[in-house]
Amino acid sequence: MQQSAVEAVIRGLKRAGVTLVCYLPDSLFKELYPALDADPDIRTIQVTNEGEGAAICGGLFLSGQRAALVMENSGLRASVEPLSRMGLGAGIPVVMLMSYRGDMGENNWWAVPHGITMEPILKALRIPYTVERDEADIEQAIVNAYELAYSSYYHTAVALSGSIVR
Amino acid sequence: MKRFDCMTRLATRLSDELVILSLGASVDEWYNAAPHMREASLFQQQLGCVTPQAFGLAVGLPDRRIISLDTDGGLLFNLGILATLGNEQPKNLFVVVWDNEQYQSIGGPKTHTASGRVDLAGIARASGIDHAYTATTLEEFDAHCAAGLNADVPYVVVAKVSGTVQPEIKRKHSDGREDKYIFVRHVEKTEGITIMGPSEHN
Repeated sequence: MQQSAVEAVIRGLKRAGVTLVCYLPDSLFKELYPALDADPDIRTIQVTNEGEGAAICGGLFLSGQRAALVMENSGLRASVEPLSRMGLGAGIPVVMLMSYRGDMGENNWWAVPHGITMEPILKALRIPYTVERDEADIEQAIVNAYELAYSSYYHTAVALSGSIVR
Repeated sequence: MKRFDCMTRLATRLSDELVILSLGASVDEWYNAAPHMREASLFQQQLGCVTPQAFGLAVGLPDRRIISLDTDGGLLFNLGILATLGNEQPKNLFVVVWDNEQYQSIGGPKTHTASGRVDLAGIARASGIDHAYTATTLEEFDAHCAAGLNADVPYVVVAKVSGTVQPEIKRKHSDGREDKYIFVRHVEKTEGITIMGPSEHN
């Protein structure tokens, strides 16, 4: 990720009022994680799997603060169970920011499943999402994801792809 | 040791704390053992989510004592949260694990703790939670509640309880969505904050 894209993500999170980021590090967002760790306004918690991160974000929602779950899109698969229960069962929202592995241009065989499964899983869970490929759109996309999540009390997601993460 | 008796002891120590608890038979037991904590309890969260949600709540409300009422099946579903707590060292989180060595709500098939080889408190200690203990008597459990509710480090007590459910207790009627609203409104009222506020237009 370019530094400018990292800054756009952090601007978006701050405009949305985010105070906590739970993450499991991945390669496409490699530059984002240390920048989040270093930011004095955002607490970061590294988790052991993304489902755990989703649940921590859900708990933070109940405190009135705002959280983000940041991860590779493979983490969506690890999060399906807690997302289903919290979102569809209780109406506890989690906003996700994920790197789009397996999109057009992918050059790793192991990332192909991530591309094939991400959007169908989001649709199966009826999670509104956008895929951003232009750095100029990142900040507002993140703000919009929070607006909708806090109107619907349901999850939303932003996937970053293309030149943003390559 | 019966879970309901442990709950009754714990309940007498609680007033302004917040509780997150697992789904299963412990829902109706907690509803009856701690009637003064009904609005302050988020009931029936899923396997693997209870302690992570309680931890998230503890992060967001650092001046409030948060209690996780987890289970052996639930903790085994996501042991990783113990490592996260070990690293993060929350000062306001007390975790109780009701370990009845079975998946009680589906009729009682055994969990991995039934073998006697799997020690959840030992796993917690090895994950960096220094204060993690196993209680086998009501007196031990009560003492750990006293200590855990006043600790400034994460505190875990694994309560070895029987597989019995307290008979003839009042059933809780609300579902997960109603539970969330009740809980959120309680947090809003007691913290003086807005969590689920009005839309732009009515």
